[in-house]
Amino acid sequence: MKFSVPIFDVKNLTFSIKGQTILSNISLEVFCSEYIAIIGPNGGGKTTLVRMLLGLETPTSGEIKIYGKKFSNFNEWHKIGYVPQRASLVDASFPATVLDIVKMGRTAKKQLFSFYGTEDEKAVYDAMSKMDILDLKEKMIGTLSGGQRQRVMIARALASKPDILILDEPNTGVDVASQKKFYTLLRKLNQEDKITIVFITHDIGVIADDIARLFTINQKAIICNNPKQLLSCEEMSELYGMDAHLLHLHKHRH
Amino acid sequence: MLEMFEYDFMQRAFIAGIIIAVLASVSGTFVVLKRYSMISETLAHSALVGVAVALVAEFSPLWTAVVFAVLSAWLIEYLRSAFSLYSDAVLAILLSGSLAIAVIIVSLGGSFNNSLFSYLFGSILSVSSDDIIIIAIFGTISLAILLLFSKELYFIAYDEEVAKTSGIKVNRLNFLLASVVSIIIALSITIIGSLLIGALMVIPTVASLQYKVGFLKTMLLSLIFGLLSVTAGMIFSFYFSLPSGATIVLCVLFIFIISLIVNRKK
Repeated sequence: MKFSVPIFDVKNLTFSIKGQTILSNISLEVFCSEYIAIIGPNGGGKTTLVRMLLGLETPTSGEIKIYGKKFSNFNEWHKIGYVPQRASLVDASFPATVLDIVKMGRTAKKQLFSFYGTEDEKAVYDAMSKMDILDLKEKMIGTLSGGQRQRVMIARALASKPDILILDEPNTGVDVASQKKFYTLLRKLNQEDKITIVFITHDIGVIADDIARLFTINQKAIICNNPKQLLSCEEMSELYGMDAHLLHLHKHRH
Repeated sequence: MLEMFEYDFMQRAFIAGIIIAVLASVSGTFVVLKRYSMISETLAHSALVGVAVALVAEFSPLWTAVVFAVLSAWLIEYLRSAFSLYSDAVLAILLSGSLAIAVIIVSLGGSFNNSLFSYLFGSILSVSSDDIIIIAIFGTISLAILLLFSKELYFIAYDEEVAKTSGIKVNRLNFLLASVVSIIIALSITIIGSLLIGALMVIPTVASLQYKVGFLKTMLLSLIFGLLSVTAGMIFSFYFSLPSGATIVLCVLFIFIISLIVNRKK
């Protein structure tokens, strides 16, 4: 079901740095409760696009609207949960328990000069429960496995009760068994909790059945409303070269 | 041991030392976690420019030290955010530049003497009652700011980008932290000295990190180590006629080494 006002409405977005165009004339919309994947080769501009959606980079030209508001007027950032690429690669010596990390997700929601209250505690425990990490809450983050750390970072994003979750290749450093569990969790968040998911990945085969639309990005964007169809079309070869073949095979194995 | 408290200057030094231990260890926790340990050294040298100006112009060194340290903190944050300069390079440039300016000012003013020496290495004799009042007032304000923004500063230290995307005003808070740290450093150099205050900010936190506990416990341990070092340092400095700043730093180094040995298998 698509709402009339998209969460993200991107029009003619271009990003250049030092004379090199990273993204050219990108337009896309992300609607409520969608599950969207963004794929593309390394250096194709996927992460740059996400960084611009989050305000970490300023576009050279074009416009981004969030919930119908211009970027500069939007201030409900707690509605957007972000799990960065290096999510599971944390500094092992940082003094933080799992509870400390997940609580960070509530920080931006707090008023100035206020401390965590009962509502925050409930949101934090709900997020940890969803990610099945309640038993780890007193553990130091540096002692966890890659898969456990990944779930902690998603719990932190969920603690702010976001409408949308943006995940930038969060599987870096995570074992295969944990990755399967992770994809199931994402499906549940989208289907049961109606959280919109924007997922940057190379591993499109395993989530092809879950996603509604696929954005392929290599400087320019190709939007595909039927991801399975795209996996077999020639545009993938144009985008990925040899990888297109590998993706196709990967899909058939699942 | 109580005989040392019969002297007014020791009472004043102890009060100031305890306040500084609290301020340095709490602010030092955020500084170390942000991997910004060298900022304390740089700001201390910038504060020295203020001291040099005050010595030549015969003002109160405490005020000018605060002003120069805060200006330097803002300059560091501006250079870091406006130009793509490496943080450690910015700190190194300002550190050596500040020291050079301070020495030139004092030399031109003809007052490169014991007064400057006491601000380089700290002197318990130089703490006046007015200094105590200023340290107490500004110290309380600085501590209150750090504690009120502790959850935001902790998030920024862990992951600055995610903190920014969640709506936290990261740039403003970085400026605020740098300003508070610069005030604390300027207040501290009369006791510890500009060359040694960095150690009191950084080493208690690094020692507490060896115990691998959560954020609040790390800060608490850092506070305990800071207080222990200042207390022991002042006692040793009084009975063995040693410079207070250096003795305090040796005490905190001792705690660090013990912490390292005790936790080597963790």
